Amino acid sequence: MAVPDEVRETEVCIIGAGAAGGIMALELARRGIRVVVLESGPRHDLARRRDYSRRFVKGENPWESPLAGIDRYTTGGSVGYRLEWNRARGVGGSTLHWEGTTLRLHAEDFRMRTVHGIAEDWPISYEEIEPYYGKAERALGVAGAPDDPWASPRSTAFPLPPFPMSFSDGFFAGACRKLGIALHHLPQARNSLAYAGRSQCRACGTCHVCPTGAKASTDLTHIPQAVATGHAEIVTDATVLRLEVDRSNQLRSAVYAGADRSERRLSARIFVVAAGGVETARLLLLSAAPDSPRGLANRSGLVGRYFTSHPMIDVTGRMAAAVYPYRIGFSTAMSGQFAVRPGRQRRGAFFLEFLNSAGPLPGEIAPVSGAWGTALARRVKAEFGRTLGIRIYAEQLPDASNTVTLNAGVRDYFGNPVPHITYGIGSYERAALREAEEIAAKILAALGAEDIRSGPLGYAAHQLGTHRMGGDPAQSVVNANLRAHDVPNLYLVGGGSFVTASSSPPTLTIAALAIRTAEHIAEVYRRPPSC
Amino acid sequence: MLALLVLWRPQRFAQVVSRRFKPRLDATAPGVLSTSEMQTLVAFAAVLVEGRELDAQEASYMVEHITDKAGKTPGYLALYRKTADLLDRLAGAPFSSLSLEQRTGLMKQHGFTDYDVRIRECLLPWGREALAVRALAVPDLIGGYYFSPAGWAAVGYRAFPSRCGELTRYTSAEA
Repeated sequence: MAVPDEVRETEVCIIGAGAAGGIMALELARRGIRVVVLESGPRHDLARRRDYSRRFVKGENPWESPLAGIDRYTTGGSVGYRLEWNRARGVGGSTLHWEGTTLRLHAEDFRMRTVHGIAEDWPISYEEIEPYYGKAERALGVAGAPDDPWASPRSTAFPLPPFPMSFSDGFFAGACRKLGIALHHLPQARNSLAYAGRSQCRACGTCHVCPTGAKASTDLTHIPQAVATGHAEIVTDATVLRLEVDRSNQLRSAVYAGADRSERRLSARIFVVAAGGVETARLLLLSAAPDSPRGLANRSGLVGRYFTSHPMIDVTGRMAAAVYPYRIGFSTAMSGQFAVRPGRQRRGAFFLEFLNSAGPLPGEIAPVSGAWGTALARRVKAEFGRTLGIRIYAEQLPDASNTVTLNAGVRDYFGNPVPHITYGIGSYERAALREAEEIAAKILAALGAEDIRSGPLGYAAHQLGTHRMGGDPAQSVVNANLRAHDVPNLYLVGGGSFVTASSSPPTLTIAALAIRTAEHIAEVYRRPPSC
Repeated sequence: MLALLVLWRPQRFAQVVSRRFKPRLDATAPGVLSTSEMQTLVAFAAVLVEGRELDAQEASYMVEHITDKAGKTPGYLALYRKTADLLDRLAGAPFSSLSLEQRTGLMKQHGFTDYDVRIRECLLPWGREALAVRALAVPDLIGGYYFSPAGWAAVGYRAFPSRCGELTRYTSAEA
């Protein structure tokens, strides 16, 4: 990790090259602003993804860091929130392994206090963020159709046509029609046609690792373009250990290290922390100083509080006929019918994803079949491909007792305290899950499935709310432009800035907010975009 | 005491026995098998997974699985070694030198094709080696083979997770 001397000072230092950081790097660099991105992980070349894909199907996580203990963490609370498969280190960050689902939030998601009398309103409205959703969809290459009757109005078309509905979506569509439930396309940042120099999806079935690059990830969609401007540099294998402020409460430098653990410093006029909802909060807490004993930008005491995700349950049923699962790695249909509606003050919103891959794999059926020899293949063929599944993503209310804190008793590769995640869900979320399970079971029963059952409670790899935005510095960590209330040259971008979670996956909103914040920073510098 | 547990809480009894006496992987270090050990394991697996000789491609899936597990996961090198050694001893010759019929007969005779291990078998003080092969090695080899492209071929899939194909194939029934 050789860092040239001239890189030790820059205009904007971005910490993390994932969804938010990668997008901000391009948005700032193309306006002529000098950017250095410090990324904890390596650059994962596209050419290596074929091998990664094979490793993934063997149960390995190819995005895992080779540094022993760097991703160590501890958990508490009623639901043990696990991080192992939920984060990735490397240029591209979590967009390396995300599913690519790109739903917008609904207008009322930004106004939960006003509309439903619970939680808080965001300091920005859907109308304010809507143009940025369009920009984010173009930048990521979102394939979709405007066929969700409950979606909030959009001013721009999807840049790519939707993926066609699958064979198994046909079963769901018939049952949903009978029950009065609208089934529609699932928007996703994945190329239904070749787009922006990346190939069309080739149905490789391992979207956790997309071997063709058809799924958008910022290592492909943003970082190369940012570097090509000549104004951005990516420093890989550079884990930021703490941030240092001066006596005037200006953030002055990021202290970082690589595998050799030797510390280096990068000074900048502006800092953007874009390390995900867990690591951003942790970095602020690790940066406690005599003037900020509770952590940087944490006079409110809210850094790390309100950790929020999306509780999930899969409901499955068995069909008499073959449904041919596992031929693509993503879903093509959903229902947003339950994402906005009355009663949301009592129970969470949810959306239904109609799975194209459910049920056991051949390698899971065979070793428990009891069969061997010539009978084994027959048994596997008879058992395989008859399961249909519906995934429920439920809204979670912000809860101050769900937190990311430091565990000083356990240390990471660099000797720093690891994050401790306390997570649980309450009656609001359980009521949503219960209702959603009943609806999913009705759909499966209507299409003739048997042995209908709910899987265990899970949660999405969405880490939200840990540095929430708001107008009141006592009730929030960042303002509407994602600038820290307490530190004027510090911006905190990513899912941690969400005020409420909605039931939508967060990445498109993270991207839209990142573009908006980059425009704000450019205005501070008074520089228009070059293209 | 034991009799009471069996009569009153049979499921609990099964759990206790299973936890205490069912063969488990040890924590021995990963490593590399010899060529003859690998040949024995592939010859054993051929009877289990297909009931015929594997072609070169199918055998390569098996070799890849065994090599990966032995080389990366603690306990598997020892399990595979124990399996190969037992099979060669029972055969009185390299197991891989036997014909398919001889191998099948030997495996049936010693119960290796019955890998649904029953609780009472776990309590017997003898036959622990063979029990470990049946409880651990057999399901592992079967699973490894069916997780490979051979498993997808068995269900009629030409393309499958990690092997890309034509995008719109998913929109209709499999040909």
